[in-house]
Amino acid sequence: MKLSIIITVIISAVILQIIGLSLFVFGFFPVKPALSGVSGPESFYYDDDGGSDSVANHTRASMPPHLLKSLYQELSGIHPSFERLILMVIDGLPAEFVLGKDGQPPREDFREAMPYTQALLSNGMASGYHAKAAPPTVTMPRLKAMVSGAIGGFLDVAFNFNTQAMLDDNLLGQFFRIGWKMVMLGDETWLKLFPGLFTRHDGVSSFYVKDTVQVDQNVSRHLENELNRDDWNLLILHYLGLDHVGHIGGRNSILMAPKLKEMDEVVKMIHLSTIQTRDNDQGKTLLVVVSDHGMTENGNHGGSSYEETDSLALFVGLKNDLSDYAASSCNSIYQVDIAPTLALLFGVPIPKNNVGVLISEAFDLLTDDKQLRVLELNSWQLLRLIQAQLPGLSCRNLPSHDGFTDGLASTIVECSGSMEKMLCCLYMNAINLHSSWKSKSLSRSTSRDDYSCTVAAYHQFLKTASEWLSRRVTDKPVGLLAFGVVAMAISSLTLLGLMICMSTEDQPGENQCRCNSITGWHKWSVNEIFLLGVMLILVMSMASSSMVEEEQYIWHFVLSTSYVLFLRKAVQPLAPGSAKSFFKLMKGQTERLDFRISSIILLLISGRILRSWHQGGVNWTYLPDISKWLEQAGVNHVRSIQLASGLLVISLSIFALFLFGFRRKITQLVGFCFLISGFLVLWYLYHNNAFVSASCDAAIQAQIIYAILGIATVGTFVALPWFIPLWFPGTCSKPNVKSTLVTFDGQCIFSLVEFRDSSYLIGLAYIICWCLLQLLLQQPVNSMPILLLLVQILSSMLYFSCSGLQHIEVEVALLYYMGMAGHFALGNSNTLATIDVAGAFIGLSSHSMFLSGILMFIITYASPMLFLLSMLMYISVKCTSYLANHQNVDSGHLAKMILGFPCLVPVGLNSILLTSYTIVLLLMRNHLFVWSVFSPKYLYVCATTVCIYVGVFVVAATEIYTCWVLALRRKKQISIR
Amino acid sequence: MADQSKKEKEKENLSKAVSAPQAFLIHLISGLGLAISLWVAHNFYSINLVSHPSITLRLIWILESAIVILIYSRFRIDPQQCSYLKAVVRGILALPVGALVNALGAIALGAPVGIQYLPKTINWSLLMSSFTFAPAASVFGSSWTYWQRIFAQTKPNEPLEYMICIPAHGAVIGGWFGAWPMPLDWERPWQEWPICVTYGAMTGYLVGMLASSGFVLANGRRQRLKED
Repeated sequence: MKLSIIITVIISAVILQIIGLSLFVFGFFPVKPALSGVSGPESFYYDDDGGSDSVANHTRASMPPHLLKSLYQELSGIHPSFERLILMVIDGLPAEFVLGKDGQPPREDFREAMPYTQALLSNGMASGYHAKAAPPTVTMPRLKAMVSGAIGGFLDVAFNFNTQAMLDDNLLGQFFRIGWKMVMLGDETWLKLFPGLFTRHDGVSSFYVKDTVQVDQNVSRHLENELNRDDWNLLILHYLGLDHVGHIGGRNSILMAPKLKEMDEVVKMIHLSTIQTRDNDQGKTLLVVVSDHGMTENGNHGGSSYEETDSLALFVGLKNDLSDYAASSCNSIYQVDIAPTLALLFGVPIPKNNVGVLISEAFDLLTDDKQLRVLELNSWQLLRLIQAQLPGLSCRNLPSHDGFTDGLASTIVECSGSMEKMLCCLYMNAINLHSSWKSKSLSRSTSRDDYSCTVAAYHQFLKTASEWLSRRVTDKPVGLLAFGVVAMAISSLTLLGLMICMSTEDQPGENQCRCNSITGWHKWSVNEIFLLGVMLILVMSMASSSMVEEEQYIWHFVLSTSYVLFLRKAVQPLAPGSAKSFFKLMKGQTERLDFRISSIILLLISGRILRSWHQGGVNWTYLPDISKWLEQAGVNHVRSIQLASGLLVISLSIFALFLFGFRRKITQLVGFCFLISGFLVLWYLYHNNAFVSASCDAAIQAQIIYAILGIATVGTFVALPWFIPLWFPGTCSKPNVKSTLVTFDGQCIFSLVEFRDSSYLIGLAYIICWCLLQLLLQQPVNSMPILLLLVQILSSMLYFSCSGLQHIEVEVALLYYMGMAGHFALGNSNTLATIDVAGAFIGLSSHSMFLSGILMFIITYASPMLFLLSMLMYISVKCTSYLANHQNVDSGHLAKMILGFPCLVPVGLNSILLTSYTIVLLLMRNHLFVWSVFSPKYLYVCATTVCIYVGVFVVAATEIYTCWVLALRRKKQISIR
Repeated sequence: MADQSKKEKEKENLSKAVSAPQAFLIHLISGLGLAISLWVAHNFYSINLVSHPSITLRLIWILESAIVILIYSRFRIDPQQCSYLKAVVRGILALPVGALVNALGAIALGAPVGIQYLPKTINWSLLMSSFTFAPAASVFGSSWTYWQRIFAQTKPNEPLEYMICIPAHGAVIGGWFGAWPMPLDWERPWQEWPICVTYGAMTGYLVGMLASSGFVLANGRRQRLKED
């Protein structure tokens, strides 16, 4: 197989993979076009072109709250029926406990536990609903859905990891803008979501799941006081205890009934106090009891089963007169419907991205025209959102009904056709009926029939629109996903096939090395089979959520096992028969074996220290590790270790540089450059510790270091192939140097010696630059692991320099695995929480999302990238063993072996992991932990893929550039001679 | 010359190699030793691996190593130079050395380091040593050739070597697999270090003994066929 074919296949497979991956990502994590900004007065009148938006925004921004409030009231034409709102959130309460299921009353003991609430429901003073929540059924996204009426996608959560504050348009923001005073008692998630919005708050943490009593007492202790005060408009109570009870004992826990009793007491207390204050002039108070999600039989939540999504919405105080028992408790709504209902009840604009529909029973007390008005407002808002999703949709170009005043029959159009047409048509129907009703009501000739027709038309539109919108968020386009997965699978199979093809094809070139192998399979020793089996283990472990959470264990375990296997392999050929006891072993062995054994022992020790540096993972983070221990020991210890490891990194890299040859001018120059930048980094670390806030000075210093490192590395890369001394048969004392001339498909010729030298130097330059950069960027406690990673690279190079030329692919795979294990050793995990955000602002004078994103990537993928860059050094090391072992160079074979594998193997292995994990994610899409475990892991897998691409590209580009320059120079030299 | 004499010696050893019933008996006794020690721990001291890992492990390794060293010393490869007592002594000496190797290996593979884990690690590695090092030392002494062939190259070629090699490898591999449940969040008490690893190692050892009996049986049949 020719090199050009191999390169073409690799590139096309990578392109196919990128296409497949992006299709899958866009299919699986839909990025819905959300409307930015907040709704203002413009939401109370409808203009199709929205041209006056900016003007309206401008006027609103300068408007004081009370004026804005009256403006809203004037525009909407509805006087808010309530002045104050009490939002009581009972975390994890299934609606079934209060309302029963399928028309059946709730369980006897639960009904008895909540006598007051049941009484309210049965005499019609409260209306309860089954509010269907959208997955993921965990607290924060559900609270967001309740206050904004929008269903967020996963990427919204993922990309907001540095700020949890809710930036989208929401009810609380709207209330704040009209000057409401808000009080929050309970789960501190609210405080994270809405920092600075509450005039008083007392947050409790949901961290101690075992606590079911104190967590609710901390909420209720302020309640009496707050109910007596009249300086708030919104009181949020968030009770966590019931969720904790569920987590401990499930639905049937013996603590459940007492907890429900406690909640009932709270409802009773609030309701009695609101009845009292109704007579005062504080305005009417509405009590809304909601739960954010339900729970399964075992008390878990997060998924999309009926038990988990069945949350409660209970409105107390809508009707204060005792009416006949309405069967409203069986009604089923969506959780997002709470937001528009509350917005319209309190006379604020509906949040922009709301997909919910108002609950019509809540507006029963309003007159007919007001009821139609709220329906109209909701319709306008949904239509605006639809127009944002379907740009160009305009309902004006539909055939207008000139004679709509003539009769109802002509105005109702049978709606059919595409979804866009259908939505438009339904909307026009409703609007036409409404205007006809209005004109009739002016002439006082309205009938009850007309009215109910209009309401029905509105509801039909709202329901269709809401369902369409929420499906857009949660639906996954099957075709896109399937195509993406297939493309990725084809690409990874291609790469795998190429890998197998190359590793079997290349063997005949060196039959002298395989003297003891009999069959094709026999040459695979335990090490090779194990390292390939690791892939299988990894793929299988990905299907288990706890293995994904604790992935670092797998990498460390597997890697140290392979070290042990390599150690065993190193001992194998040890003097068969010549040394008869252990004692002779100590003395008379060849230097090479000592090298191999000692380098593996070094790898084992450094790997073990790296493993225990960060505990990592999710479940066992509390266990002691070295980083925690150091941080406890104090800042000074950490700093001295940081400086010491910085110094060691510099001296180690200078040592590695001069291992190559001290006397050469080029080496001295490169060494000098990096020595300078190394000391700059040390100086920077000495003067700026992470505990002092970054000053402008520090930013400039860091920028200078970036610049010097960049110039030194790029300079080495560009200039070195031009200045490395060329080897010529005449000038060299070595035998058979002539034969080391290499041809690439007959195009360019150069000597392997100079290629090896420049590859080594450039590779080392990359590694040093990357290590210094990491010393600068990583947390102080991570500087020692960086040193250990460098030690690992150098000692593995030492080992590989003695290991011959068989199984290059296995050694490259080992380097890749080492990179991944190092990734976890630097404290990373598969949750988004461990990303070091603080380091991403080092050296940035202004906030730039792009630059800090790049820095964050550099910090997170320090180790895989470091090991990918070490591939250059590996290539050089392999060239050395090639020179030592082979009399004549089979150039194409060499190129494939030495240049092909370091690029192909990481891409191939990663593509296998990527594809299999994609399939796992697809299979797990309904799993309980899909949003909390599998999706973050998928983001990491995608980022690793990007990292591999970048690293392999750098390696390949450097190699090709070096080859090209060397060939050019040799051609020139020959022509001069 | 030296090679030839060694080969002759090997042949001589082979001639008085263990027969299949003998091998089966040895394995049965070692297996029973494990079972008895677990039974004694359970019935006499009412402890088990989960409740008192170190004490139980100590009980097991004392019984098991005694059985293994006493039995395997009878089959030492150099009965001319080495008396039974000497073989027993070298087996006993190999026990802590092997324990050190096993403990270092376990720590390298990620066994927790800490004062509270120290007794558990020591007892566990002594047990592992009595599975792996002690019988080999009793039989082979300090002959590097044998050690290398059995443990580094895994190329046993006579019944006795099978009987040492396969159970030892089985114990190590079983222990390796036994470590897998440790990071899982099942919150079971047996997920602690060395409990599930010990279970894995004991299972692997038993499976290895079964396999080695099979190999010895097959080997004997082949020998007989050859002789015919």
